[in-house]
Amino acid sequence: MMDTLFSVFRISVKAIFANKMRSALTSLGIVIGVAAVITMLAVGSGTQQEMTERFSRFGTNVLFLRQPWDLDESISSPKEVTMDDVRAIRRLSGVEAAAPYISSGFTVQYGYTSTSVDVLATDTDIFKTYDWELDSGREFTEKEVSDYAQVAVLGATAAQTIFNDVDAVGKTVIFEDIPFQVIGVMKKNGQGGFGFDMDEGALIPYTTGKVKMNAGWSKSDRRALDRVIIRVKDFNQIEETKEAIANAVRNTHKIHPLKPDDFQIDDFASFVEEAKSAGKTMGILLGVIGAVSLLVGGIGVMNIMLVSVTERTREIGIRMAIGATSADIRLQFLVEAVTLSCIGGLIGVALGIAATLIVAANSTTIPATLNITAIFVSFGFSAATGIFFGYYPAYKASKLTPIDALRYE
Amino acid sequence: MSLIETTNLYKTYVVGDVEVHALQGVSVSIERGEFVAVMGPSGSGKSTFMNILGCLDKPTKGKYILDGIDVTATDLSKLAGVRNRKIGFVFQGFNLISRTTAVENVELPMVYNHTPSHLRREKALAALKAVGLEKRAFHMPNQLSGGQQQRVAIARSLVCDAPIIFADEPTGNLDTKMSIEVMDLFTKLNKEMGKTIILITHEPDIAEYAGRLITFRDGQKVSDEVKK
Ligand SMILES: Nc1ncnc2c1ncn2[C@@H]1O[C@H](COP(=O)(O)OP(=O)(O)O)[C@@H](O)[C@H]1O
Ligand SMILES: [Mg+2]
Repeated sequence: MMDTLFSVFRISVKAIFANKMRSALTSLGIVIGVAAVITMLAVGSGTQQEMTERFSRFGTNVLFLRQPWDLDESISSPKEVTMDDVRAIRRLSGVEAAAPYISSGFTVQYGYTSTSVDVLATDTDIFKTYDWELDSGREFTEKEVSDYAQVAVLGATAAQTIFNDVDAVGKTVIFEDIPFQVIGVMKKNGQGGFGFDMDEGALIPYTTGKVKMNAGWSKSDRRALDRVIIRVKDFNQIEETKEAIANAVRNTHKIHPLKPDDFQIDDFASFVEEAKSAGKTMGILLGVIGAVSLLVGGIGVMNIMLVSVTERTREIGIRMAIGATSADIRLQFLVEAVTLSCIGGLIGVALGIAATLIVAANSTTIPATLNITAIFVSFGFSAATGIFFGYYPAYKASKLTPIDALRYE
Repeated sequence: MSLIETTNLYKTYVVGDVEVHALQGVSVSIERGEFVAVMGPSGSGKSTFMNILGCLDKPTKGKYILDGIDVTATDLSKLAGVRNRKIGFVFQGFNLISRTTAVENVELPMVYNHTPSHLRREKALAALKAVGLEKRAFHMPNQLSGGQQQRVAIARSLVCDAPIIFADEPTGNLDTKMSIEVMDLFTKLNKEMGKTIILITHEPDIAEYAGRLITFRDGQKVSDEVKK
């Protein structure tokens, strides 16, 4: 049996290589489909991996409080998140730290150099929520926060861009016409948060930001914060702490017990959910792309197999005359279709791996990690395409009668 | 019991509204080891007759018993094994598979009866040797002369030890010298290996090689004579 199958396979390879150009063009659809799926899945799983890494570096016991973007219509006078909330949250026993968070892009100037940085206006609790480490200088103090001090802690990349290799600590930089003294520079720590990248950014006291730098913070309530970052003491108590926070905020916002919240609390899990659903959407998209290209490739295979059956009608007749059964003929053409699409699949796999490696080596913004499952699955699909689209031509060939096939001109 | 026994075979082709009566009641019986030549003008039904005998086609009416098997009662698709084991074909146009070496062509019938590959090669080479082509085993059909290709086809018909060889105008595409080679080979197969050979030809010289001559005209057997 294996012996026969091997003979059939050899005949198939011979037939495929007899028409190299035609076979190559036929399998192109499958090549492209498989390569595309592998590459995109690699980019997808790379992104997901990086996101997960980012979350875990960030810590699982961090919560965010903010006003929802899609606020419930039934809430007539929603309150912004303010320092009142921060103070109320800080009083809760399950909370380790809570920091205000207002971020905005600014132009920063030093001498003749100017560049743009993400400025995060916050207070000293920020240093307890994030695990950032100082490279030189110091963090700002509570006194500097309450004194509206014009001090800034720079991210590593930002400091490098502005000062090159000169020590930034003690220097004065201008944020939108306002001078700030650099009191500290952070160590480089890779992307550290959501929407705020410490490496490229700068920290200033929120008081200074609110009062002296109106620009960019155009909320209806002048006291409004973008969000509050909360670090809980015990991860196992996170649900209870979340509830306590919600009660505290309902209290400061004076929400009637029967009315819904005008804020939301996000945790690590909800970000993971979001990432997962983004991944799912991406998966569906990839599935569609893969399916469409395999469909197109499959139709190509079917077309060429029908041509091949017609061209080789006489050969089919000869084979039948010397003892091939209908099943033998069907197997022959099926194996040929599968071989053709698997060759396409293999080339596609090679191309996909190459593309992934090229992306991974040359792009710093797009992470790509090879997904072994994706490789096997997409190769499997190319084989399945061969079976599915090769079946009809093979069936057609097997239905010929020996004499009709032999007489075919 | 005869090896081949047909009774009142009819074959009618319908082309559009026209009916072509290719065979009109042919009854023949052929014994094991006979060498039969079938002659007749073009269109007299010789090939139709042979295709039915070779289980490539079915008669419209009539009965055909091959080595005790009622072929007319069996579905064509079930007869692949019969063709493989009992029948070897040699066609006018050689009908070798192109881009496939001589020895692989000869091996082909054994692929379909699941002979292990090492045995296949051995037997195919032996068959090529029997037709005097062992030196051409690894040539492609298009690298061989017509006579050589026909001998490859004969080797292929021998390789499964089928008792019967059907040859439809095997010398039709060959010059005289090659025709003689091929006919000598058939004679040898008949005499030394006891093969039953049924050969169609329209050349009297070729028919001379056979021990029995059946003549067709308009789909009917008009004469059937055993020589000497
Ligand atoms: N597949 C077919 N369809 C229609 N007519 C056919 C077919 N095969 C043979 N015939 C007709 O049947 C008759 C006998 O043909 P054939 O057996 O090939 O004769 P021969 O081999 O003696 O020349 C001819 O008239 C031929 O045209
Ligand atoms: Mg004929």
